[in-house]
Amino acid sequence: MNAQEENVLSVEDLRVAFRCEAGRAEVLHGLSYRLPKGKVLAVVGESGCGKTVHALSLLKLLPPGGEITCGRIMYAGKDVLKLPAEALRRLRGAKISMIFQDPMTSLNPIRTVGKQLTETILAHTSCSKLRAQALAVRLLKKVGIENARLRMKQYPFQFSGGQRQRIMIAMALCLRPDVLVADEPTTALDVTIQAQILHLIKSLQKQSGMSVVFITHNLALVAGVADDVLVLYGGYCVEKASVRDLFANPLHPYTRGLLQSLVSLKEKTERLPAIEGYPPAPGEEQKGCPFAPRCPHAWEKCRTQLPPLFESGAHEARCWLVENK
Amino acid sequence: MTNPAEVKNLYKTYRSGGWFASRKENKPVLQDVSLSLGEREILGLVGESGCGKSTLAKVLLGLEDYQSGSVKVEGLELKELDKAGFKRLRRRLQVVFQDPYSSLDPRMSVRQILCEPWDIHGLHKDRAKRKKTLEELVRSVGLDPAHLDRYPHEFSGGQRQRVALARALALEPRVLVADEPVSALDVSVQAQILNLLKDVSRARALSMLFISHDFAVARFLCDRIAVMYQGRIVECAPARTLLDNPQHPYTRALLDAVPSPDPSARKDFEPAVLKSSVRREQCSCPYAPRCRYYRAACNRPFALTDDGKGHWCACALKPFNKSQTAERFHGGTHERND
Repeated sequence: MNAQEENVLSVEDLRVAFRCEAGRAEVLHGLSYRLPKGKVLAVVGESGCGKTVHALSLLKLLPPGGEITCGRIMYAGKDVLKLPAEALRRLRGAKISMIFQDPMTSLNPIRTVGKQLTETILAHTSCSKLRAQALAVRLLKKVGIENARLRMKQYPFQFSGGQRQRIMIAMALCLRPDVLVADEPTTALDVTIQAQILHLIKSLQKQSGMSVVFITHNLALVAGVADDVLVLYGGYCVEKASVRDLFANPLHPYTRGLLQSLVSLKEKTERLPAIEGYPPAPGEEQKGCPFAPRCPHAWEKCRTQLPPLFESGAHEARCWLVENK
Repeated sequence: MTNPAEVKNLYKTYRSGGWFASRKENKPVLQDVSLSLGEREILGLVGESGCGKSTLAKVLLGLEDYQSGSVKVEGLELKELDKAGFKRLRRRLQVVFQDPYSSLDPRMSVRQILCEPWDIHGLHKDRAKRKKTLEELVRSVGLDPAHLDRYPHEFSGGQRQRVALARALALEPRVLVADEPVSALDVSVQAQILNLLKDVSRARALSMLFISHDFAVARFLCDRIAVMYQGRIVECAPARTLLDNPQHPYTRALLDAVPSPDPSARKDFEPAVLKSSVRREQCSCPYAPRCRYYRAACNRPFALTDDGKGHWCACALKPFNKSQTAERFHGGTHERND
């Protein structure tokens, strides 16, 4: 990521906390990144690492109890977090839109797909209902749904999982947003449909120069779609690099462990090099490096002091080992 | 010697349409499925969601009825067993489900969960002996006996799956059915559980039916892999043979869709095309409408056939033999340009 590139979105020191019995638990501890125009940034992490919380914060969609305690999210020179409600409404869906993980529950089951698609268009533009419908049909065709005109009148349950996810994508893209936030868009789908969805997102992204924040736990997908990668662990960004750097030379022991524990299709291995232990629960109090309890290289310093993000060229990693290099 | 589990010519249909449906249809979910699970063998069953792999597991476990065919576990025909006989069989046949969040009773402690099977079958009644066996069991799946009085919600997904595995192993079964046991887990934990499954199945001489949608996981764990499509087995071979030399176009398409964890080998995901010109009813191959190698020969009936080396494939064309490439069938016109 160099400075000349135009950044569409930049996140600075984003901190999110949830209310709990013991007061407040911080689940995202200061996340910063820049998203250049036309690039795909992958955010990788396990469940509970804060990746979905981060995605929801981008559009101020955190559920009750969640609170952004600190930070800025800059889009088009303005801080999204400080926008008044009306401006935020106009931003959501039109400029920054989102695809959620579960296509089964993110569509309204009692309204037709066509209604839901045109509703989005009509809410943000002043075009006529007929034109909105024509646009919706075009979009459905574009995402590969046959008999689009007829299927506009159908309800979500009449579509398969992959088709529903494609409808979600059509809905997210209908206003040609600058930024698409895709939160595990293919996790619930089969590999063949996953390939179709990725193909679709990539081709649409190439056509319109849209930027994508692609949230996933699947490193193989990251290798396939991303330009830059950000690895989250226990609410901290532990590594940030271009996709090639990350796969060729992972600096953080967690990233290395993740890459090693990928099961290979090509060769038969006798044992998988697994990362021992379990990821920390969200909001768990921790001293020092969040990965220290599972890290094979951890020493005293790791358990007591949280390492900062060390830079090594364009590659950043939150590990004391990198400092010593 | 009898195979630990065997399924022959199994047919099963689901009735579709509810009370108010004007027309009730029988939807086939398993069609002419034959599989056998050998002694100490791990057999992988791979396919997309809805292909019938979980239904097959349920039928094998006696949790679902079937229309015709034969299902034998340890040489016993499931349909002929009475209640007591089935209870006896249950000790030898156990299951681990996909979702460790919903397959453990939230109101029972781990100790209660693991002792319940023993209570039901009247095993380990001696308290001291039970305590010792319980601790051994818990250690064998990598859990700390100090955590026995905790409840499922206090554990992470990986630990819960360990509890579920311990529950399945409590009765020392011979056959274990594992229905996507790692797909709900995080990547870093998945590897631990896969290693554990491998160790446990070896140490206890288990035969396992391992259901998965992930070929890489199946390759790591399984001796043999069967691929299922729309209720039929389309290909079945030793794991290495199947993955290195897939014969069926469907297996091939599935393998092609698996993303590679290497940014320099990035492929342009090519979407599968559904040819609406091919009508499903007219061909005997269920994959024909999606198949890029479809030819008239696909309309004739054909069966799952063996190549003599234990590689079974249900394709009229078998286009991917190393010696005879796809070109031989199409003059290269349909070859992909990748």
